[in-house]
Amino acid sequence: MKRNIAAEKAALAKNGGGFYKTLGGGVWMTPAVDIKTNTVFFVVGNPSPDLYGAERPGDNLYTDSIVAVDLNTGNYKWHYQYVAHDVWDLDAVSPPILVDVKDKNGKMIPGVIHGGKTGHIYVHNRSSGNLIRFSDPMVSQEGLWTLPTKEGARMSLGADGGVEWSPMAVNPGLRLAFAVNLEQPMTYHVEAAAYPGGKLWLGGSFKNSVGEEQFGNVTAVNIDTGKVVWKARTDQPMIGGALSTAGNLVFAGEGNGWFKAYDAKTGKVLWQYQCGAGVNAPATSYTVNGKQYIAVAAGGNTQLDFKRGNSVFVFAL
Amino acid sequence: MTCQVVLATIVALAAFSLSAQAQDVEAGKKRAEACVACHGPNGNSQAGTFPVLAGQSDRYLYLQLRDYKEGRRKNSLMSPIAAGLEKQDMKDLAAYFSKQNQERTGFKSDMARVEAGARKAEESLCAMCHLGGMKGQNEVPRLAGQNPDYVVTQLKSFKARERTNDAGNMTSLAQTLSEEDMVNLAHWISNLH
Repeated sequence: MKRNIAAEKAALAKNGGGFYKTLGGGVWMTPAVDIKTNTVFFVVGNPSPDLYGAERPGDNLYTDSIVAVDLNTGNYKWHYQYVAHDVWDLDAVSPPILVDVKDKNGKMIPGVIHGGKTGHIYVHNRSSGNLIRFSDPMVSQEGLWTLPTKEGARMSLGADGGVEWSPMAVNPGLRLAFAVNLEQPMTYHVEAAAYPGGKLWLGGSFKNSVGEEQFGNVTAVNIDTGKVVWKARTDQPMIGGALSTAGNLVFAGEGNGWFKAYDAKTGKVLWQYQCGAGVNAPATSYTVNGKQYIAVAAGGNTQLDFKRGNSVFVFAL
Repeated sequence: MTCQVVLATIVALAAFSLSAQAQDVEAGKKRAEACVACHGPNGNSQAGTFPVLAGQSDRYLYLQLRDYKEGRRKNSLMSPIAAGLEKQDMKDLAAYFSKQNQERTGFKSDMARVEAGARKAEESLCAMCHLGGMKGQNEVPRLAGQNPDYVVTQLKSFKARERTNDAGNMTSLAQTLSEEDMVNLAHWISNLH
């Protein structure tokens, strides 16, 4: 990371540590709970202000981190910080998933995985938090960690990240995790700004990089190797989430209204349905009298301005 | 037993919040009589330099009044007015104006400028904070249907860093906008409803 540690230390000495009161670090999405070990795993959002880091020297723990705490007491167990002193809003938002994974010696152990806005899937040892591996990048990372400037500095990784809040899904038999991605090159602009008194505090702005194409992917990653096994391109950046079934199907919806089923082994599109509004929610599956159904909400998305809707669609397998 | 207690509490809370809300709007209406001269009847401003307040997010309205009072935002007309308002007055006014129906301003947008403004808005990711259709959310204002003169004035003011109560978001973005861009954005915003 391109940090000026001396300047951060000087800022801390000059202004003190009171900034922790406005440091942010909200938890956006649902945690995972391991009943066997009474542990809650959750991921933490970015430090505030998003782009202007001079106000908040140091690593800004526990922002941009996965954190494990005791279910009964809330006591800290471990954490792993993905981005220290974030100035890009590349926080940790996609819900953690508990799944057995191969450790570095090839032994199957309880793991916890997270799809990062950085574009990697992170695989941790569930009891220690140690990072076993992180996947190949699922999205372009040109110019990664370029510091924001007043005029705007480009990174091919946009502020919505490689994986936004969209939940991933896992097919344990195939050893695959499925993530939905955004390819949104942006410019990052910084502006010195004091705490605004309970208002949105970005300390800068993001812009789309002019003339550059935006699109999305559904990506399958082997959690035991970190390799990208397949990638299916979509016309628009993806926000919503993936669903994986035991019958080796993967479901994911798109902002243009298409809800698609993919072959979990190859990424081939097997089926699609036009829902008439953005399918920007993860699907779910359930059975009634032994028959399996897939349900998904098509509500659209205001952040990426995908067509809004107000319907839930249910399909029988 | 527990269920009954909880239910009773919920009913009591609901009744309380309804009456509190009604008082807010009613008290705000009375206080808003002084605002008509500039902001028009019900906050539907007829003069382009004064913002339409009708239908605006109540949290945005409250925080802007508070910012005027505390000196985070400065305006020769609004600062002295806000100086005399208490927190409850600001909340009442915000509640009142947010509940009013926004009417069209009567401004006729130039469609070529609307198109150019839409392109610039997409590039500038306006929807990321102001949401699709510029409907606004919480402290991020509704822009749809706003007076174009007011929009341009504010963008210029952000660019010149004269208005700085935006926490760096708009001051930063406005640096990338030319005056032409600002006019185009204003035509596009005014045309939304």
